[in-house]
Order: sequence, then C-alpha cells, then structure tokens
Amino acid sequence: MNPIFTPSLHSQRHQFVVDFVRKNKPRKVADLGCGECRLLKQLKFQRSIELLVGVDINGAKIKKNMLRLAPLSTDYLQPTFDQLHIDLYQGSVTQRDARLTGFDLVTSIELIEHLILPDLELFSSVVFGYMRPANVIISTPNSEFNKLFPGLTGFRHSDHKFEWNRSEFRSWALKVCLDYGYEAEFTGVGEAPQELQESVGFCSQIGVFRRMNVLPNRFEEEVFFYTLVYSVNYPTLCDNNTFIEVLLSEVVYRAEQMKNSWMEKTTGGTNWGLPHSQTEQQKRSACTERLDCPGGGEELTESLWTTKQEESGTLNRFVVVPLAALCSFCPKIAELSGSLSNLRRLLMDQPQVKLSQDGFSLLVKCEEQEPEQIDSDEEEDEEDAPAVQCSHQTEPEEDWEANI
Amino acid sequence: MDPRKRPDLSDKAGFQMLGRGRGLQPVEMTVGRSRGLLLSTEGLGLGRARGFLPPGDIPPGRGVLPPSTAPGRGLLVHPDEVGVGRARGLLLPSAEPKVGVSRGAVLPRLGQQYEQKHMLEMPPGSAGDTAAPRGEEVSAPPCGQGSTLVSMFRGMGVTSWGRGTPAVGRESGHDGEVKVQDFPVGLATAMQGAGHRGDSMGRGSSLSAQMIVGLGRAALPQLGMGRGQALLSSLPSGQIKPVCPTSDPQRTPLSPPHPEGGLKVVPMTQDLPVPLSSALPKKEMTMESVCSPINKAGTKGTPITIGSNHIVVSCKNEAVYQYHVTFTPNVESMTMRFGMMKDHRSTTGEVVAFDGSILYLPVKLKDEVLLKSSRRTDNQEIEIKIKMTKILPPNCDLCIPFYNVVFRRVMKIIGLKQVARNHYDPESAVVLEKQRLQVWPGYATAIKHTDGGLYLSVEVTHKVLQNDSVLDLMNMLYKQSKENFQDVCTKELVGAIVITRYNNRTYRIDSIEWNKSPNDSFTLMNGTKTTFLEYYSKNYGITIKEMNQPLLLHRPKERSKPGGKQIITGEILLVPELSFLTGIPEKMRKDMRAMKELTSHINVSSEQHTNSIKQLLKNISSSPESVKELSRWGLEIGSEILIVQGRTLPLETICLQTSCFATGTDVSWSREVVRDASINSVPLNIWAIFYPSRCADQAEELVSTFKKVAGPIGLRMARPIRVELRDERTETYVKSIHSHLTSEPNLQLVVCIMVGNRDDLYIAIKKLCCVKSPIPSQAINIRTISQQMKLKSVAQKILLQVNSKLGGELWTVNIPLKNLMVVGVDVHHDTSKSHQSVMGFVASVNSSLTRWYSRVTFQTPTEELIHGFRVCLLAALQKYHEINHNLPEKIVVYRDGVSDGQLKMVEQYEIPQLIKCFETFPSYEPKLVFIVVQKRISTNLYSWTSNNFGTPSPGTVLDHTLTQKDWVDFYLMAHPIRQGCGLPTHYIALYNTANLSPDHLQRLTFKMCHLYWNWPGVIRVPAPCKYAHKLAFLSGQYLHSEPAIQLSDKLFFL
Repeated sequence: MNPIFTPSLHSQRHQFVVDFVRKNKPRKVADLGCGECRLLKQLKFQRSIELLVGVDINGAKIKKNMLRLAPLSTDYLQPTFDQLHIDLYQGSVTQRDARLTGFDLVTSIELIEHLILPDLELFSSVVFGYMRPANVIISTPNSEFNKLFPGLTGFRHSDHKFEWNRSEFRSWALKVCLDYGYEAEFTGVGEAPQELQESVGFCSQIGVFRRMNVLPNRFEEEVFFYTLVYSVNYPTLCDNNTFIEVLLSEVVYRAEQMKNSWMEKTTGGTNWGLPHSQTEQQKRSACTERLDCPGGGEELTESLWTTKQEESGTLNRFVVVPLAALCSFCPKIAELSGSLSNLRRLLMDQPQVKLSQDGFSLLVKCEEQEPEQIDSDEEEDEEDAPAVQCSHQTEPEEDWEANI
Repeated sequence: MDPRKRPDLSDKAGFQMLGRGRGLQPVEMTVGRSRGLLLSTEGLGLGRARGFLPPGDIPPGRGVLPPSTAPGRGLLVHPDEVGVGRARGLLLPSAEPKVGVSRGAVLPRLGQQYEQKHMLEMPPGSAGDTAAPRGEEVSAPPCGQGSTLVSMFRGMGVTSWGRGTPAVGRESGHDGEVKVQDFPVGLATAMQGAGHRGDSMGRGSSLSAQMIVGLGRAALPQLGMGRGQALLSSLPSGQIKPVCPTSDPQRTPLSPPHPEGGLKVVPMTQDLPVPLSSALPKKEMTMESVCSPINKAGTKGTPITIGSNHIVVSCKNEAVYQYHVTFTPNVESMTMRFGMMKDHRSTTGEVVAFDGSILYLPVKLKDEVLLKSSRRTDNQEIEIKIKMTKILPPNCDLCIPFYNVVFRRVMKIIGLKQVARNHYDPESAVVLEKQRLQVWPGYATAIKHTDGGLYLSVEVTHKVLQNDSVLDLMNMLYKQSKENFQDVCTKELVGAIVITRYNNRTYRIDSIEWNKSPNDSFTLMNGTKTTFLEYYSKNYGITIKEMNQPLLLHRPKERSKPGGKQIITGEILLVPELSFLTGIPEKMRKDMRAMKELTSHINVSSEQHTNSIKQLLKNISSSPESVKELSRWGLEIGSEILIVQGRTLPLETICLQTSCFATGTDVSWSREVVRDASINSVPLNIWAIFYPSRCADQAEELVSTFKKVAGPIGLRMARPIRVELRDERTETYVKSIHSHLTSEPNLQLVVCIMVGNRDDLYIAIKKLCCVKSPIPSQAINIRTISQQMKLKSVAQKILLQVNSKLGGELWTVNIPLKNLMVVGVDVHHDTSKSHQSVMGFVASVNSSLTRWYSRVTFQTPTEELIHGFRVCLLAALQKYHEINHNLPEKIVVYRDGVSDGQLKMVEQYEIPQLIKCFETFPSYEPKLVFIVVQKRISTNLYSWTSNNFGTPSPGTVLDHTLTQKDWVDFYLMAHPIRQGCGLPTHYIALYNTANLSPDHLQRLTFKMCHLYWNWPGVIRVPAPCKYAHKLAFLSGQYLHSEPAIQLSDKLFFL
C-alpha cells in the first residue's frame, strides 16, 4: 500500500493503545479480535495490567500465536509484586460471555469493518451494553483516505463489509454513546500529507469511548459462550510460595555473607585454608560493606556472636545474626518483609532457617572447614593442586560440564 | 542435497553480483528445450538461485541436443577456482546426434561422495581442460550410461556451486539482443572467470561479452537441463566441436568462435525443430531410495542389553513432497514471498515448510500448480509456480530441520521455556540460596536420522542461572575491588552468556562499553533515534533505575537470514540491569563445597535420567495439542526408551615391568601400580624442593615418605637439595628456582610446595620451568600433604607423576599392531577469546606406546589448524625415526575437538594435507587411520537389567542403530561411572587405509583409554587425546606460549 507509513500503520495503532494504557493504567484489559496476539504481546509488558484477555473467532490463529504470550525465562528469576494473568478465548464478539465483564479497557482494532451490519448491532450491545468496560478503543479504516492509495478500488481488504468516512463513524459512535451511556472522542493514526490532513483525516480513525455512569448490576444469567484456549499465570511475589522462596533465598544468602565477614574479622581468617590473596580480598570487602551499610554498619559486627547448642549428641556452633541487623544489611529483605515481626513470622515455619528462641535472631551454623574426607585413591592429579581444583571429582572427566 | 550445505552456497558474496540476469527469453533460446529455462523467464537473480538451488537434487538430468547441429557434445564442468585444484570435466563423444533423455536414479548423499571421488580419478586428458557453463550442463549420453553420468555430474554440480565459481556458459536471446548493460558487475566477474578458464583452455579470447553475460545466468532452473552449448577446446576427441549458440547473424561477430586445434564451430540456428520440455518423455517421479548402511558392527565381547536416551519416531505419512516455487516476475523480498504463499493456504494446506523457494508439504499437489498473487507494493500481478521436484521418504534428512521446528513447538506447548537451544522448566527450579543460583531442569531434544531410522534424542540437562542481574554483580565486584574494578569486571564478564529481561534470547558478552550508558541513543530499524532508557520504557514498560552503568556489547556472528539475503552485522548493546548471567560462575568452580552441592543436583543417575525422559514422553502424549502438532507431519513419538543390544569389550591386561594383571570390573589398578615396579624409572639423582619456611615440617615429612615408597615403584631417588624460602611471594620462588637452575645445570626436577590455590605463583613457576629454563617441575599444594594419614598414598602418586614427567614409563597394554604410531590431538579455546587457540599434539614414538613426543602450536584466528598439525606430525615422524630407525607403518590419529559440521572439512581438507606430509620422506606411504573423538554428545547409555535402568559397565560399546549413516562410527563408554549417568564417547573413523576392522578400531580405542598415567584406571578418551588436552590447556591457559622443545620427549605437562 502506498503511502507507506513509518512506523507501519498497524504498529501505530498498537502504539496508540499502549500509550493509552500507560496514561490511564487500566488493570483489566481485553482485546477483541486479537488475531496474531501482537497487541497483547506489547500490552503484557505494561505493568499496570493484571488481567489481559484476548478474544478471536479464529481459534486456530490463537493457538498458533498464543505461545508468544508465555512468560519469559527471566520472569522467573526476579519476580516482582506485579501480577499478570493472560486468558485467550475463542469466541464471537456478537456473543456474550460473563468472563468479559468488569474490564477497565476493551480494544477492538480494525475489527468492526469485518462485521455485517446486523452483527455490528450485536457487537455494540455486547461491548457497550453487556461488557460495559470503563473505556473502549475502536479503530476502523477511514474511507476518505482511500483516495490517497493509487489504484485502490473498492475496500482496502476483501473481507471488509464496509469502510466508513469520518462522519459515518462519528454518527455510529454517537448513537452508541447515546444508547449505552458513553462519551466518545475521535482521533486516528496514519497522517495524510500536511495539506490534505484537513480534507481526508487519518488513515485509521479511532474512537475512544468513556463510560459515563456505572449502572447498577443487572441480575442477568451468567453466560459462557467463549472457549478458553490458553491461560497462563505469570510468576509474582503475590504468590505466597514464590514470595517465601525469594525471601528465603535472600535471607539465607545475606545471613551467610554476614556470618562469613564476621568470622573472618574475629578469627582473622587464617585457619580457613583459604589462599591468602583471597582472604585479604574478603577482608577488604568486609570493611567496605560496613562503610556502605548506613546505620546498621558499626553495630553489625558487634551484634553477632556465637552460640553453642547440643544437637543430637553433637555440638554445633552457630553465629547469631539478629534479624534487625539482617534487615539493615540488606534493604531488600526489609522491603520484602515489611516489618521485623512480619519477617519473624514468615521465617518461623521454614525448615531451611533456624531462629533463636526469641525468634528475633537467625542462627547460622558454623560449618567447620575441616578438610574434605576424600579417598585420595579416587583422585586424579590431586598433587598438582592449582591445575585441578575440584579434588573431590572422582572421575577424570568433568562429567557435569557436558550436562550443563 | 544436504540442506546443511545451503548456507554455504548463499554465503558467497560473489554470486550476488552475477545475479541480475534479465531480458533473456529462455523459451526462445536456441537450445531452449529445457524446462529449467521456463522457470527463469525473467531474470531470477543468480544470487537467489544459488540460495535455494539444490543442484544435486534433480532426479533426472536431461540434456538435449538438436540433431542437425551438434554432432559432438560434452558434459563440462569448469575448474574450481578455490585452489583445491580439481579441474574436471567430462567429455562424452557421441556419434549420433539425437535427442536424449537420461534419467538417473537418485542417490542420496553417499552417492555423491562416491561420484566426486570418481571424478577426481579421471585422467587429465579428458578432464580438467574444459569449461562448462555450469554444473548442470548435461548432454544426453547416448546409451544406458545415463544414470551414472547424470548423477556423477550432479555430484560435481554441487561442488562447483559450493565454491562460488562464476558460471560460464553461453546462450542467446532469440532476437540477438542481450543487454550487456544489465550486467555490469556480473560481466566483470564472468569475464574474470572466463579469463581464468582461458588460461587452461587457451581460448578465453573467443568468449564475447554477450556470451559471458548469458553464462552468468545459466544457474537458474531447478531442473538441471542442458542449456547453451558446450564450449570446448583442445579436447582430444576430434568429434567434439564447439557449437556457437548464436542464432542471429548479427551477433556472430560479437562472439566469434575460434576454431582451434582442428575444432569446428557450427553456428546454431534458432529455428531448429527442438521440442520443448513438454515433448520430452514424461518422467515419473519416484520416491528417493535409501542406500544400505556401511558395515560397522563388531563382534568381540559379551553381548548386553542397554538402553539409550532415544525414542523411536515413526512417520505415518507415506512421503514428504518437495516443490520448487518460482515467482514471476521475480519477488526479491522473502517476507513478501512468505506472505504470498500464505495467501494460498487453500491450495497448499495449513502444513507447510517453506524457505522462500523450496516448499515441503505432506500432501501431493499436481505436478505443476500455477497461482496468482498481487504484489502489495505496486499491485503487480505475480505468477507463482509450484512444481514438484521430489518425493521424499518421510524420514529423509531434508525433513529433519522442520521436524525439529515442530518439536520445539511441542516443547513450548507443554509449557517449557526455551533458553538458548534447550527447554527448561523454571517452575521446578532448584534454588541454591548460598550461591545465588537457580538450577532449572530441562531437556535438550533433537530429531535425528541415524542408522536405525528416525529417533528423538532427549538429553536431560540443567540450566544454571544467576539470581542477580549483571548490574548487581558489577556492584558486588565494585565493592570488592574499587581500584582495578574495570579489569576485574572484564575478566569476570567477557565470555559469559547472558539472558535478557525482555526477550528469550541469549547473548555472549564480547566486551564492556565503559563509556556508554542507558542514556545513550541508538538507531532503530526504521531510522529513528532513541535512548536505551526510552526504548525499554516504551516497548517493555521497563524503567531502568541505574543511569550510571556501562553497556554490554555483543558482536553477533555473521550469518545470513534464510534465503541468503540480509547479513546480520553490527553490534548489540545490552543493559546490565536487564541481563542475567547463565552458567556456573568462574569463582564458584573453585569452591568445592558449592560445586558438590551443585553437582548433586545436576549429575543425575541413570534412574533419574530415564524417569525424566519418561515424564517428558508422558507430558507430550497427554497433551492433545502436542500430539496434533506432531501428527501434522505424520510424526508419532514412541512411548518407550530405546533398548538395544550392545557389547562389553573384553577386559584388558595391564603390564608393569615384570608383573601383569587383568583389570577388575572397576578397571582401576591404583594398588598394583604402587606395589610393583614401573616399566622404566628415571633415577632421580639431583633434584630440588622449594618450600616456604612455615611448610618446612611438611616438606621434610614428604621427602622421608618419598624415600619409603620409592623402592617398590622401582624409582631410585637421592636426597634433594632443600631450599627454604623466606617468604611466599611469587618473586621469591622464581628467583630462588632460577638461581638453583643456573648453579646446578644437571638438576633433573623442581618440586615446589605452595600454600593455597595461587594461580599467579603456579603460572610463574610453570612459565619458568616449561619455557625459560626447561626442566620438569612439580607443584604441590600444602593441603594435599598436610594429612599424615594420607601422606603415603599421596607421595606414591606424586612419585608416579614425577616419573612420567621425567620420561619414565609406568605401564602399558598389549597392542597387537607393529610399527604403530598413535597420535592424539586436542584444541584448547580460550573462553574470553582474548588468547589464541592452542593445539596440543602428542604422538607415541615406541612400539609399546610408552614414550611420547609432544608439541604445541598456537593458531591465529584466520589460520587453519592443519598448518600446525603438519609441522607437528613431521617432527613426530622424525623423532620416531631417530628412536626406531624406521618410520611407522601405521599411524592412528585420534582427533578431538571436531564437531559434526566440521567432519566433511576434516575429511576433505585436513586428511589429504596430512597424507601429503608423508611425501617428505622418500617412498613412504604409511597406512593412516583418522578417528574423530567427540566427548560432548547427546547420547547416553544405560544398562538394562531386570527392568531397571542403571549405569553400564566400562567397555560398553554400541556400533549400530544410533550410529551415523555416512561414517564408520561407534560409541564407547570406556570409563566406570561413579556419579551421574553413562556418557559414552563417540568415535568416527573418517579415514582408514589400514583397513582396521570395526572390532580392531573399537578394541584399539578401548586399550588406548587405559594408558593415561596420571590415573591408574580407564578414562573417557584415548590417553593421547587426554595428554594433548592437558598440554594444550597448560600452554593456552598458563604458559601462553610454546613450551621449550627440550621437553618435547617427556610428559612434562602432566
């Protein structure tokens, strides 16, 4: 098609929706006629959205493209409190489905021109009368612009049932507003050359509808005409298991760090069998950490102490790490848990961590760095120490390497 | 043709220039009876043609010559320009001019190989001096030779294409008007080509511009029909006459055919009653046949039932149909081609695999389907012709790529996440809190075509990902070392693989751009400029928090998009905050405790392994969507893990100086080897031990223990020179060692005791003792000798190691091959790419394989490995001669570090070069066996007893079913498995003039796995490979230069 738009027209339409979302921050968004799920794929990155729904009459098309909407690998690495659930339905916009009610935004991009007029009536009543979202964005071709496409006769696409000019679209929209209690604004994307902008308008005209009043809940029978094709939950900290996992991983790691730097400071780190350069480095890092840790810094080292506990016959040494010190050492823990007592409550039942009797300190076991019990018969190259570091390795080949 | 070859073809830059042939009216060409021409009605770019054209694929080659004008004809292939120096041509004199059709049964790749070799042997009289328009120039052979000739010819066609030589041929437009100006570049190239040819044929001048131009185009049609005439000169046969294709008298002067050497030129007229393709006898398309496998099965050993991580894939469809799609007028844009094909799904069906010109369908269309589309940019009507070219058996190699695409989708459907090439399940992640790591279980899957048919290979893998972003890591590193932060950071990050927040891609960090920040801007595809900050915020809703961070730079490998079009170049910048590191951090590798924890998660037993596979199969079969996806191509994944019959090779006998003993089932002889004398021990008369003062006691203890244990081993050892160092600084060690080396020139060995893992000290000592002042050296970590209890066994092992380093001989196995030299080669690549790759080369120089000669070569990135290889082999042969006064009759090379994709290259290039090396010695033609050793493979073996999977015993070999079609290969699991599951080593015998039988190859390899002296047991690879690996690692990682030549006859690198 000529003129070619930059960026392309469809991405301009999608960008329009994305910009709307960024500005108005809807939580529940549905895209009618989602097709290849391109718009949804862009929308899923918008943090405000918690529920994203796509509907298309073509189930095969959805199936083909639905996997684009699956969470990324990295979404699992650092989950946030943002939540996102995506559902894709196969269904017709002329039919009602209770799962599509209560949305903040419903978009229907280049859809209505594919409907025959009676269906368009149904569409209006379903979207504006039944779904009743707070906002609706509808885009459709502007037929006035067609004259700028050289050689174009008829409609832009063979499946189009109609292409409206600006006033036709406007009159339809205003009637819908009147019928269902919405107000509309008109705009568009795809600008004509400067001198023609007035006379032809945008290539795609867009109506943005805003609901004027919330009607009282009509007690209608719940209907489910759509078929759920795809449904996915994104990892989120709102999920309790994920949350505990993340918190624990943070707590265990930081407590271990604090224990190590404290132990090094008190014992001088000599009997650890660590090479000198490394120990020095760690000592240095311990100092810098203290300096970098506002507030909690100085008392941090003083607040740690060791304790001994008899456990099933063996004596275990623990380093006591007060939760308060932990929170000030690692702001992320404080952020995650909210308060100290909350943190205590959260950690209480976790088998991975051991709390002191009052529950306000973490007991981190001092694992004696006794040399590994290795049967030297099974070692290769152990004498040439620097060349082979993993002396526990029993088989000459580093098998695990090949498995990663 | 092998689909893998295609990128090769399209990568050549030259041909694109040739590409714009236009204005030719093929139908009306003088010799225009080839259907191929029809396909190319309007200037299909030659470049494009090469991108997709599989010349080898055309089942029936046909060439037709008009009766009246062409009494002689030739099948000609012009010489390669690449310098492999295989000029070839084939001349087919024919007494009777006639229209002929030759039809060849299509042979798969193997056939081609054979044919190429065949060509090489052609006598120069009939081959080599001729040039042909292109590979597919086929003149009809007069008799029943047809099939061989055609297929032979096809084989050559493939090669010449691959090399990117400009095609030369001739043709004429019917109106005699060839638009030279349309080919400005192509002309030049073609001219060059012609000139080149001219040298060899003595006839370059006769080619007119037009002719050459026409030639450039010759490459098009899918059907390799003869077009234009053979251009011959100085051919022995008097029957052969060059034919001028010119029809128009006007043009004749422009392309003056010069009769030379008694050759006669017959101008051809256009109005010959040449039948068009339709008149040709219609060929029936038949299914490609599959050739029978090579015999590679051995018989020695005990049969056992074993399992492997493979699942049978059955194909329900009868065939897969290959079509060639042409767009007229030509459509350049691949996207547009895809789009147009998409519009015709009603014809092709929903299930398609299309690469822009070759189309695969599970359904049979009519022989030729004509469709119409209109180009959206200019409403030009485009005619799309879909022509069937082949009927493939559904397990054909050509189908494997899209089967794999289908299977990758299945993995996604069952909810796995793709990271790099494999699929993982993050929901079952194991979190290693202390290391800030997550371990994701997953699978590496591939559909393979092996000797046994189609299999799905499932490797159970794990992905290690770091919990923190690269920025977090940078912050941590900054806290640790503020002064040289950038260096530390570069060292830690360059070479690492990151995965990003916003897409599923992985990138390798090639460098860090310290001067850039997220506030910098870059140019988007559409030409607009935006900052990183804006870009991520706008497109992904991600707010970058830290403005003061550098950017990570990734340089993508140069590769072309499908269709050979745009070459992706340029650099990719990544934001550290949005990137996560994958893989095991370097620092952690040194932390034994952490590694132990990690390996406990990722080193799964055979039982866990097979359970995971079964789970995957269950997940697939219980997902209707997955089953449906597979069935679209008629695929069905079996439900059982493959069970096959393998063998356990006979146990070997280890020979010491006087005693011999059979190995037990644990294939370990750590006790025997310290009880009895080694084959040959070097008396240790003068040696020195260096230790810091605080290790004085341990050093004393060690020396006295040495004395006690040396006797049984057979080692005579004098009191050492003891050197107590006043501190532990590297400089102190180096200075002290150096001064003793100068003052005591007969010093045999340097022993250093050091505290902790000190790489810097280790490097300094090794550099001094391996490069500057060559002497065997032994570094000992104080920790290993600090335990009284274990001191004895540690001392024994050190002495064995020291003896090897001094040139002693520990043990051997009996190898019933005389005058044998075994060579091991491995390559060490530096992960950060900051250093050169290093090739380690180790060769045996005596009959009992107990003396080894070793060399190292450093490779520059542009240099081929083979140059260094030759130098090393020559030196080893000389050394062998020096010791044995003869040269080895048989040479067995174990070459590590060759991937599947490089096999052909090694076979066709490296091995011939090695053989050439023998010419250095007068009338020396040893037998050569060249075996590629592959350690990193996806095949696992399990034992299968009483319905349970376990680990197979050492010496298990599998030489059928899962082996590769084109080679003699086998899987051997030589080593015992103590942890994890059985990962065999794959051996491929690329070359074998010694005619070692499969049994001998297997047993020799197994024997070689017994000879690694640093380990009294069997190892995974043949000892020379392991030695070569150690040597390359030491040189590449620590020395960064070649070790001194004086050490080359000792295993100093152990």
